[in-house]
Amino acid sequence: MVSTGKLMAVIKREYVERVRTKWFIITTLFGPLFFLGISVVPGLLTVRSMRDAQVTDFRILDATGTKLGARMARTLKDRELNNPLRKVIGGAGPVAVVEPKILTLAQAQVAEAEATATRAVMNGETRGYLVLDSATVATAKARYAGKNASSLGEMSQIEAALRAALLMQRLETAGITGARADSLARVRADVATERITSQGRGGSGLVSAIFGFLIAFLLYMMIILYGQNILRGVLEEKTTRVAEVVISSISPETLLAGKVIGVGAVGLTQQLVWLGFGVGISAYGMGMANAMGVGTFALPQVTAFQMVCLVLYFLLGYTFYAALFAAVGAMCNSQEEATQAAQPVMMLLVASIILVQPIMTQPTGTMATVMSLLPFSSPIIMPLVMSGTQVPLWQVSASLGLLFLACLGSIWVSARIYRVGLLMTGKRPSLKELVRWVRYA
Amino acid sequence: MSELALEIRAVSKRYADHVAVDALSLAVPQGTVYGLLGPNGAGKTTTIRMVLNLIAPDEGTISMLGTSNTDRRIIDRVGYLPEERGLYKKMQVRRVLRFLAELKGVSARDADRRIDEWLERLSLTTPEKDWGNAKVDELSRGMQQKVQFIGTLLHDPDVVILDEPFSGLDPINAQALKDTVVELRKRGKTVIFSTHLMDNAERLCDSVCIIARGKKVLDGSVAGVKAEHGASNVALSVAGGQERIAELLKDQGLIDKVDDQNRFFEVKMRRGADPQALLRAIIASGVEVQRFELVQPSLHQIFLEKVGATNIERGMSGHG
Repeated sequence: MVSTGKLMAVIKREYVERVRTKWFIITTLFGPLFFLGISVVPGLLTVRSMRDAQVTDFRILDATGTKLGARMARTLKDRELNNPLRKVIGGAGPVAVVEPKILTLAQAQVAEAEATATRAVMNGETRGYLVLDSATVATAKARYAGKNASSLGEMSQIEAALRAALLMQRLETAGITGARADSLARVRADVATERITSQGRGGSGLVSAIFGFLIAFLLYMMIILYGQNILRGVLEEKTTRVAEVVISSISPETLLAGKVIGVGAVGLTQQLVWLGFGVGISAYGMGMANAMGVGTFALPQVTAFQMVCLVLYFLLGYTFYAALFAAVGAMCNSQEEATQAAQPVMMLLVASIILVQPIMTQPTGTMATVMSLLPFSSPIIMPLVMSGTQVPLWQVSASLGLLFLACLGSIWVSARIYRVGLLMTGKRPSLKELVRWVRYA
Repeated sequence: MSELALEIRAVSKRYADHVAVDALSLAVPQGTVYGLLGPNGAGKTTTIRMVLNLIAPDEGTISMLGTSNTDRRIIDRVGYLPEERGLYKKMQVRRVLRFLAELKGVSARDADRRIDEWLERLSLTTPEKDWGNAKVDELSRGMQQKVQFIGTLLHDPDVVILDEPFSGLDPINAQALKDTVVELRKRGKTVIFSTHLMDNAERLCDSVCIIARGKKVLDGSVAGVKAEHGASNVALSVAGGQERIAELLKDQGLIDKVDDQNRFFEVKMRRGADPQALLRAIIASGVEVQRFELVQPSLHQIFLEKVGATNIERGMSGHG
C-alpha cells in the first residue's frame, strides 16, 4: 500500500533539494549558452577565415591559348562579391576581393612556371596555383596545388568557376556570344529537400534530420545526466545510512518511485527552460537568416502524434535507465565502486548513441528497425528514425510496448535489489548473489 | 492497555552461513521500558530490523500494538533510531526533520511547530545561534545525534525503538537520552532499546531479554530476573559466636558457598533459598548480628554467568 502523502514527501524532497543546488542553476542557465557556443562558434570562425584568406588569392597558369584563365578569374570574383556570407562580415565596409593573377604561357613553359609558383606559395606570396594546360578546354581537367588544397569548400568554388568559364568558352565556340551566352551560362541549380510523409509534405529534409539528431542527443544526455544523478542520490542515502531511517517509515518501493519521479521532474523542468531558450534562439536565428538573405527554412512540422511519442519515449526511457542506475547505487558502497558497476548500464546507452550516425544515413535500414524496437536503444533511436522517415504505426506501437514491458521488468528487478542492497554493507555482490537477492527479496 | 506493545512469536532468520535469530519469542507490555541485551553479534539488530519490517523473518510472526507489523499503518506509530546513524548531509536541519515527520504522516505545519519545540528543548536553538537553519554537515557529531533523536520522536510515536542508543554518545547527550526515556515512559509510551551496556539497562529497564547467538537466554522483569537467575548473596557480620555461625552455614539446604573472613562472611545462598530463613536461624542461635545485607547481583553478573565469556567471544565474530 503506497501512501500518496508520503510519496509526495519523497518527490518533493528529491525535487526541491536538487533544484536548489548551484549545479542545477548553472547547468540550466549555461547549458544553452554552451550549445549555442558549439553550434555558432564554428560558423563565426569560418566567416573570420573568409576575411583573412580569400579563395581568389591564387595564380592561374593558363597554357590553353584561349582566354579561359581570365574568364574564370572574372567569374570567380563576381561570385565571391555576391557571396551572402560576405555581407555578414561586411559590417566594417565591403572587403576588397583580390582577383587571381593570370600568367599566360605556352605548354612548354608550364613546368618551369609551376616550379616558380610553388616557391611563391612556399614563401607565402600566394595561396596556390591552378594549371590550365592545352588539354583543359577539351577534357575539362585542371590541376590545383596550394595550401588550401584540402579545403573542400574552396575547391568546389574553384571547380564551379572553372565549369562556368568552360561553358562560356564552349558556347562562344559554338557561335553563341554576348548576353545570350551569359544567360545560358548563369544557370544555378538549387535543390531544396522536403520530406513527404503520409500526412503530406512537411519541412526540409535536412532540417528534420538535424532536429532528429538533436532530439536523440538530448534524450541521451538527459538519461545519462539524471540516471547518474539518481545513482549518486541512492549511494548517498546508503553511505550516510539515511536509507535505514527512511525505509523504516516507507517501503523501499515508495522511496524508489519517489526518487525516480522527483528526479525526472527536475529533468523536465530543465528541459522546459531549455526549450524556452531554444525557441528564442531559433527565432533569433531565423531573423539573422532573413537579414543575410539566405532564405528561411521551414521548421520541421512536429505532429501531435510525434510529440506524444517523444514524451512517452523520454518518460519510459528515463524510467528504464533510472531504475537500473538506482539498483547499481543500492549495491555499491562507494563512488568508485559505483562508477565501475554502472559500466554495463552505460554501455547500453553508449551503444545506442554510437549508432545514431549510421542510422541517420539509413533510417529505413535493418539496423534502424532493430535498434528502434530493442527497449534499451529505442528511446534514443526511435525518435531519430521517426524524424527521418515515416515509421509504420505497428512498429511504433511494438517499440513502445516492448519498452513499457522492459520498464516494468527493470523496476521489478531494481526494487528487489534496492530493498536488499540498501541495508547491505561490505563486499559488492557477485552476479550470483544478485540473482539470489532478486529471487528472495 | 491490554494489548502488547510488541509480541515476537518464534521468529527465525537464517543467512547463507549462519543463523542470526533462532526461534526467538518475547513480549513487551505497553508503557514499559524494555531492554534487548546481548553481546555484539547476538542478533539484536537483526531482530529489531525484523520488528520494523525492514527484513522479513524466515519463520514466525511479529505483531505490534495488536496488529501485524507488516501493516504499514502501524509503522506510523513507531519511532526508530538505527544503530548506524545518518542524515542528509547537505540538507538544512529543519528540512530534514520536516521530511522525516512527513514520512510518518505528520503535516508540515504540525511538524514545524514540534521541530521548534524540540530544537529548543535540546538546546539546538539558542539566542546566539539557530542550528535549525544550518546544514547538517555544519553540525558537530553530538548535535547531529540530537537531530537524529528528534527525528525519531517528532511524530510522537507510541512505541520507540532505539538500536544501541548509547553508543558514541558523550555523557551530556547520554543523560539527555536517559531523561527523555524516563519522560516517555511517564507519558505511557513504550521504549524498547538494545544495548550491550548492562549498567544502562539495569537502571532504565522495567524488563529485559538477554539473547546470545540468536537464542533467548532469559527474559522477564529486572527484579524477577535477579530473583530467579541471580544467586543472591548475603553480607554477614557478627560480634563473636563464630563457631555457632560456622555450624549454621554448613546447612546445604540453604547455603551454596561461604567466604569466611572471620568476623565477616560473604554467603552465597543456594538458588531459590530464602535468605530470611537464614536470618531467622542466626537470630535464634543468639549471635549478635551487626550486619545482614542482601547483596543483589548486577545484571552484568547474571549476564556473564548466563552467557559466559566464551559465548561472548564466539558471538563477537558473528554478524548483526
